[in-house]
Amino acid sequence: MSEPSAKRAGVGRHVAIAVTLVVLLLPFLWLLQMSFKTNDQILQFPPPLIYTPTLSNYTSLWHSAFTDSFVNSLLSASFSTALALLLGVPAAYALSKWVGRGKHSLSFAILLTRMAPPIAFTIPFFLFYRWIGLLDTVTGLVLVYTSFNLPLVVWMMQPFFETVPPSLEEAALVDGARTHTIFTRIVLPMVAPGIAATAILCFLYAWNDFFFALILTRTNARTAPVAVVNFMNYEGWEWGKIAAGGSLVMAPVLIFSLAVRRYLVSGLTAGAVKG
Amino acid sequence: MTEEGLLDAERRRFNRLALAPCLIVLFLIAGLPAIYLIVVSFTPFQLTEPGSATDFSSPLRNYQLLPGDPRFVNSLWVQLKLSVWGVAFQVLLGMLLALLLNVPSRFVEFARTFFLIPMVLPPIVVAVIWKVLYTPDISPLYYAASLLHFSMPSLTSSVDFALISIIVADTWEWLPFTFLMVLAALQTIPEEFSEAALVDGANRLQIFWYVTLPFIAPILLISGMFRLIDSVKAFPLIFLLTSGGPGSVTEVTNYYAYLLAFDTNEIGYSSAVTVVMLLLVAAVSLGLVWMGSRREGFA
Repeated sequence: MSEPSAKRAGVGRHVAIAVTLVVLLLPFLWLLQMSFKTNDQILQFPPPLIYTPTLSNYTSLWHSAFTDSFVNSLLSASFSTALALLLGVPAAYALSKWVGRGKHSLSFAILLTRMAPPIAFTIPFFLFYRWIGLLDTVTGLVLVYTSFNLPLVVWMMQPFFETVPPSLEEAALVDGARTHTIFTRIVLPMVAPGIAATAILCFLYAWNDFFFALILTRTNARTAPVAVVNFMNYEGWEWGKIAAGGSLVMAPVLIFSLAVRRYLVSGLTAGAVKG
Repeated sequence: MTEEGLLDAERRRFNRLALAPCLIVLFLIAGLPAIYLIVVSFTPFQLTEPGSATDFSSPLRNYQLLPGDPRFVNSLWVQLKLSVWGVAFQVLLGMLLALLLNVPSRFVEFARTFFLIPMVLPPIVVAVIWKVLYTPDISPLYYAASLLHFSMPSLTSSVDFALISIIVADTWEWLPFTFLMVLAALQTIPEEFSEAALVDGANRLQIFWYVTLPFIAPILLISGMFRLIDSVKAFPLIFLLTSGGPGSVTEVTNYYAYLLAFDTNEIGYSSAVTVVMLLLVAAVSLGLVWMGSRREGFA
């Protein structure tokens, strides 16, 4: 690890970076500013440079079924995160102490669940849910989301457990503590930051899902991303509402992901390389 | 039994208790569905024909149909074009961006975070953003073109430009990923390397070609393979921008499988398409694991 101290960043490079950043973010900013315009203003070109921002798009969303879909998104993402942590954190701890041969095949299995296109899971889940009546329910979504969040937790948590000094656990063992006490009292508090980062990633993956929710829900359990698309298909081209809905869907993502940006890559490459 | 043995037994019991629920649930929600997908792919299952789900009279029928199905063969081609071009642009531009931002500066470190935004946005929001940009009535792109007295064709409904418009949007979305990975690799290059080259009178381009590039080449390959695997999933963009059209110009295998299963009810056949896709993805993944294990802890 070394900072490239020899070369200093010149003014030219700073300008180039700033310009690149603005160009790259323009599409995103365009949607954001659209959400504060009326439909007439959106269709107006040249775009008015100065306009009074309106919250009407947001308020009309608030009084529509969009609120329910937002709640559905929150519920399914939260519950699947909780379930994945509950099952995955102890398993990751046990695996971090395990130096057997099966470890490689397990990491490949974990990689595959992450790499598989969603449709591979959607077809069996759809048929099964249709049969037992879990279609269009939040419970159904929670189960599907756990199928990709659980491997993620197992993968992400292991390196965190490996950073806990073995001497701490040994000292507790000498004092007569049992394994589960060591786990809950000593190890877990030490990996709390890792659990927080993992939880946020799980939440984001579930929150960002579009495909599963598109197939497995209709109206009751419809999530926010599907609701945004429905504005286009069924309510005409209300661009203001579409932009506002999109902005609301991305708001939690932007806030959370900036908090875990250090772990973004290890989450995305889970299974293949050490993060 | 000795005290050591007792402790070991207790530890093993804890490990079993910690692992068992996780493995059982994983098997139920990931293993079983995968097995069932393969089983269904051996049947001519259609939702409208109840008996067809358990009809194993000609198990390989779906797979025999695949090579002669022009839409399937076409979808593989479309996927290949989308993946290869998308990945090439993402790796190239990601590398350039990483080189540009690999300088010690407070401002640049602060700016890096904002470069990540496209990647963390929900994919459907990315699709909405590009839907806006590709819709002539409300797009600043089309307005800018009209100012230059240039009339842009409707990109997403044009046979020539539909796939390109998807590749552009996909590159915008995933550029930050390759950027992040390359930047991490760049920061591990020992400073002495380029200093030694400077002393030897190398110019910037030579330093890049002989010092930097060999160092980051494995990361370029690994990040490219990750994107290759994930490019198979490009669903929201295609769903919202082109719906696979015009015709089947942008109909990738994933989208074709989706249409088969949930539009035309051909569940059995769609499962066979999906299994083939899974095998391709698994092959690339195996290559990745192999490379990853050779470069343990690169990040």
